[in-house]
Amino acid sequence: MFKNKINRRNFMQQTGVWAAAAAAGTLPKFARAARDKELNIYCWEGYNSDDVLDPFRREFGAKVRAEGLTSDPDAVNRLRAGETKVWDLVNLNNPWAREMMYPEGLIKPISRERFEPMYKDMMPAFHPPYSWAMDKSGKDLLGMTQRFGPFNFVVNTNKISRSMGEDQGFNIFLDPKMKGRYGVLTYDNWNIYHMCVTAGVDPFKKHSKAEIASYAKVCKQIFNGAKLLTDDLVAMNLAMINGEIDASFTGGTYTASPARFDGAKQIRGITPKKGPMNGKGGIVWIELTSVVNNPDPSGLSEDFLAYVQRPDVSKKVAFAEGTYNPVTQMGSDKVMATFNKEELDAIQWDTLEEEMSNSTDYDINPDYSEMYDIYSAAKREREG
Amino acid sequence: MAEGNTSSKWRFNPGALAAIPASVFLFIGFAGPLAMVVGYSFMPAKTFSLLQIPTLENYVSVVTDSYYLSFFWSLLLASISVFLLFIICYPMAYGMAKLFGKWANLITALIVLPLLISENIRLFGWVLILLKNGILDGTLKYLFDITASGLLFTVPAIVLGIVYVYLPFMLFPLVIGISMVPESLKEAASDLGASRWQIFKEVEIPLSMPGIMIGGILTFILALGSLAESKILGGQAVIMIADDIESSFTFAQNWPKGSVLSVMLIALSGIIVFILFRKIDLDQIIGRR
Repeated sequence: MFKNKINRRNFMQQTGVWAAAAAAGTLPKFARAARDKELNIYCWEGYNSDDVLDPFRREFGAKVRAEGLTSDPDAVNRLRAGETKVWDLVNLNNPWAREMMYPEGLIKPISRERFEPMYKDMMPAFHPPYSWAMDKSGKDLLGMTQRFGPFNFVVNTNKISRSMGEDQGFNIFLDPKMKGRYGVLTYDNWNIYHMCVTAGVDPFKKHSKAEIASYAKVCKQIFNGAKLLTDDLVAMNLAMINGEIDASFTGGTYTASPARFDGAKQIRGITPKKGPMNGKGGIVWIELTSVVNNPDPSGLSEDFLAYVQRPDVSKKVAFAEGTYNPVTQMGSDKVMATFNKEELDAIQWDTLEEEMSNSTDYDINPDYSEMYDIYSAAKREREG
Repeated sequence: MAEGNTSSKWRFNPGALAAIPASVFLFIGFAGPLAMVVGYSFMPAKTFSLLQIPTLENYVSVVTDSYYLSFFWSLLLASISVFLLFIICYPMAYGMAKLFGKWANLITALIVLPLLISENIRLFGWVLILLKNGILDGTLKYLFDITASGLLFTVPAIVLGIVYVYLPFMLFPLVIGISMVPESLKEAASDLGASRWQIFKEVEIPLSMPGIMIGGILTFILALGSLAESKILGGQAVIMIADDIESSFTFAQNWPKGSVLSVMLIALSGIIVFILFRKIDLDQIIGRR
């Protein structure tokens, strides 16, 4: 085929032949062959770190592309919109796989035989069968857990003690004395959950009109009392360290750990001792990485899932650039041995078990859409 | 017959033929997405397909909801910023065009260099300066025992950010505008007895108006769609319309509402540009006439 030299005369002709061949589906064969050494990951930041990806690229001779996501619902919608053709792995918070993505055919099960034994090495709360990793029938394994953490609010303990925060819970933000002394971290979906909790309402159930009215009142009060709004955890931590504010409405190990690891130990995630979710006041998120139901799947998806379970890689995932978080693999002594005292302190290991026991698992809010409109109006109409 | 001639002239006109690739690219890459945004604005709320029965419900919802506040703040802060930029940049531009000679090149380089650094990083620099116990507050406390806290996370901080980031977009059109004012006209005005103020008001300002208008339009449109300044320096003391658009497309998952807000912002910008362009002559600026 390449014997025919391309010259000025036949250039257009040759181009046309190649274009027609591509259109007729000749070329996708080459592309399909390349998928054995290609992996596309859509994930929360951390898994897209070169510290995590480069050793995998070298070991498997793979071309790995990873894109960070900004919100769970956004990611699910992109898969719904046809990006199952693009991604091989998706890393989201716990409820989406079982409740939405698997029933909608966006992800597919992974080998129980290969991966269930790995769950046995995880912390006891995640031992198999771990409900968020299973489909509703309990038959199929939908992915692997790794990072997790309580996510409620953060204080500067030099100004607000840990015990005061835990005892008063989110009510602390309704205290008139707190006006102008806290910031709102605009992770909007989380704030909606926590504003429900502040209103004494369980976010993970269908709500009555009275409950939505209480939630709306809290939305206004929280926004009107805030000194600043930001979606940047570094800016929020900096404002707490420098004394602009004393607390962050929503936050947790995920947001406090970078400041703590830098030496600002006074910045601490707080989990309320009690609240409206069957008596619990805190929420914990657990990431689950699942294999996307890609019509042209990569041969490396499950290999990557197994790779990130290794002790050294688990540590890299826990301490990827940006934020530092506990990982479920810390149930294994080999993984624990990779953490030093400073790192454990950064992720509040000392209180993690207690915080987990005071928390309920992140779930889906059936009234999210209606509550979002109320939330965004309160933000827009904020009286500074 | 005449029409046929025109048509064949067009077909063999090298300029028109050469413009075809760029036109196709513009149509696909610029007009296409805009048309999609307009299309989505008429789709039912919280849906993701363009193949549905069009509705005006999103327009009604945006008009009856409190989005006017975001439009108001964006328009107000953009107007204030353009005014301040003009006040700051005109003397600088005058100096660069008429007085600084070879030093003008150095000043140009110093103003252009920061553009190579990400806008967000430059704004974070200001956060470190303005933060309570930050560079400014700490220095003033140390040297003079006075405090300058409370500057950050305010509306003036947003204006400062906009003025800082968009300064080159006002300055360089002004430099060009002022360079276009012939010295001979100023001398003639002076010979005829005009005072310095009269020369400035009746010769320099009108003749440099194309530069003023271009700088004003550029910075106004950029400021109208700005977001980072409000988020990073302002702590979202007010919500700009760009923030509402971003939230609609992300957390709210309401593409049609985001599209309505985008269409309204584009229309608003378009109307302003249309009105202003009627007052200036582009051909004159580029020297065709």
